[in-house]
Amino acid sequence: MSAPAGVRSSPPIHWIVVRRRALQYLALAFYAFLALFPLYWMVMATLKDDYDLIDPAVSPFWFNRPLGLNHFSYLFAKTNFLVWYSNTFVIAGGVLLITLAVCVPGAYALARLRFAGAQNIGIGVFMTYLVPPILLFLPLAQIVTGVFNLGNTKWALVLVYPTFTIPFCLWILLGFFRRIPIEIEEAALVDGATRWQAVSRIVLPLSIPGILTAAIFAFTLSMQDFLYALTFVSSSSQKPLNLGIPTELIRGDVFFWGELMAACLLAGLPVAILYNFFLDYFVEGITGAIK
Amino acid sequence: MWVAVTGVRQPSAGRLPLGKRARVRLGEDWPLGYALISPAILYILVLVGYPFFLSLYFSVSHVTVASGFAGFAGFDNFTSLFGDPVFQKALTNSLSFTFISEIAKAVLGIGLAFLLLQKLPGKKIIRGFLMLPWTLPITISLFGWRWMFDPQFSVINYSLSHLGLIHHPYPSWLGDSSWAYSAVLMVNIWRGFPFSAVIILAGLTSIPSDIYDAAKVDGAGFFRTWHYVITPMIAPILFIGLIFDVTFTLGDLTIVYLLTNGGPGFSTEILPTVAFHTGILGGDLSHGAAAALVLFPFLLVSMVFFLRLLYKRQGQ
Repeated sequence: MSAPAGVRSSPPIHWIVVRRRALQYLALAFYAFLALFPLYWMVMATLKDDYDLIDPAVSPFWFNRPLGLNHFSYLFAKTNFLVWYSNTFVIAGGVLLITLAVCVPGAYALARLRFAGAQNIGIGVFMTYLVPPILLFLPLAQIVTGVFNLGNTKWALVLVYPTFTIPFCLWILLGFFRRIPIEIEEAALVDGATRWQAVSRIVLPLSIPGILTAAIFAFTLSMQDFLYALTFVSSSSQKPLNLGIPTELIRGDVFFWGELMAACLLAGLPVAILYNFFLDYFVEGITGAIK
Repeated sequence: MWVAVTGVRQPSAGRLPLGKRARVRLGEDWPLGYALISPAILYILVLVGYPFFLSLYFSVSHVTVASGFAGFAGFDNFTSLFGDPVFQKALTNSLSFTFISEIAKAVLGIGLAFLLLQKLPGKKIIRGFLMLPWTLPITISLFGWRWMFDPQFSVINYSLSHLGLIHHPYPSWLGDSSWAYSAVLMVNIWRGFPFSAVIILAGLTSIPSDIYDAAKVDGAGFFRTWHYVITPMIAPILFIGLIFDVTFTLGDLTIVYLLTNGGPGFSTEILPTVAFHTGILGGDLSHGAAAALVLFPFLLVSMVFFLRLLYKRQGQ
């Protein structure tokens, strides 16, 4: 299995290569089935006719009655889906602004300025990312209502989500700022630019990819939460998607399967796609600490 | 454990004027540095530090939503929790659940990581699809699973019965206490294995390929290479990944809450569901906080390991 070496050091015999390739694709097919089957199932439920969904006589793997988009139109017309969608964007936007406002200067300071404790502060902030929300949600519920007076509003989530986006994005931005050669900045300072000019004209434009990455994570990490939303928000008009879908598209024990799956796909896929583009940075954010 | 940054402190600082002395002690850029980092510190102190200590405080006093603070309790909340059969069930579930799921995720993750290490056409796209369980918001993909577990229209039962593996009465995946635990475990593993794979992959790609060559020249087989060469080199990265995954698996409410809500009976209760039911639905903040804080020792161990790893690396 020492593949990177194997290719180079032993002469490739044709059928060995073919067999190995076939095995690799077989293994990948296994993983693909494992990973994607539940999603295939959701897509089918979205597009299928309601009777087709619950007919025990036919194979559930494929459709037996014409496919349609009825579930989508029900979702838009008869539920609060669009309200939740816009709430999600308002929340993510707020979280994003707070996160960047706090993290860009902070990460710049940690990456470039010389002051005592900078390294420990960086590690300390990042370690708060390791504190799971379940340890904090009870007191936070008291704090958002009692201290900030934001009980049962989406602004409670705007306030609280930065507790996990700040540690993460600070770390990501720190990595980006460190990669910009310090000589460029020093050259500007030598040429008579003030520090603010050097930062705003040289460092910030160069770190746009980093800022963009941090922004994407502020958004996708907000969508991954359930506990805080469930604890702080109860009125339908204030809910984000990740709370509205699981709590309101289920009435009693009757599931509106088709609508539910339609909603899930519309909400989930954009997030998943965005996340995926920036996955390498996510991994780097987590493992980068010890490189 | 918190070592000061070296190169800042100098012994002769005492005789300089105050401003200069501060600069020598605190670093050249200290006013701007502290000013720029303080919003982040303030945010964390107010919304992570303060609630954390409040949580500690709740757990050692009698506090309810209805009547507020009603006296200091010492460890009474913890002793009464440990005497409670639901809590006992939750504790053993949380531990066994995390343990089994980490092993399964590691096994599946190692396999996938080695596959993604190969040169394959369209690898980036394949990886994107395989990451979907991790990148999709879990509240959302859970409903695909609920539909698959549905007692009447379960595709799992449909397939198993057509393959002749199960017969009437079919298992009610979420309604039967012996199956519900496996169902929850299954979803957790499904959700987490892509993450293990990318972390392991990040470790594997950080190993220079001549090291594999060297091991091969020295006659090491796959398992020897894995044991003596790969594992020590990727151990730090694996460790970070494991720490993250363990704390999040232990602390995750979502999967159990939306699949079984701790039921049927108390068969799938875990510490987070106990904390939520007691603290939010029951309004008993003390016992809720105490139930969540039982996780804290694990968290502490993780953090100590994390720090030791970090400083060991920096010491090199």
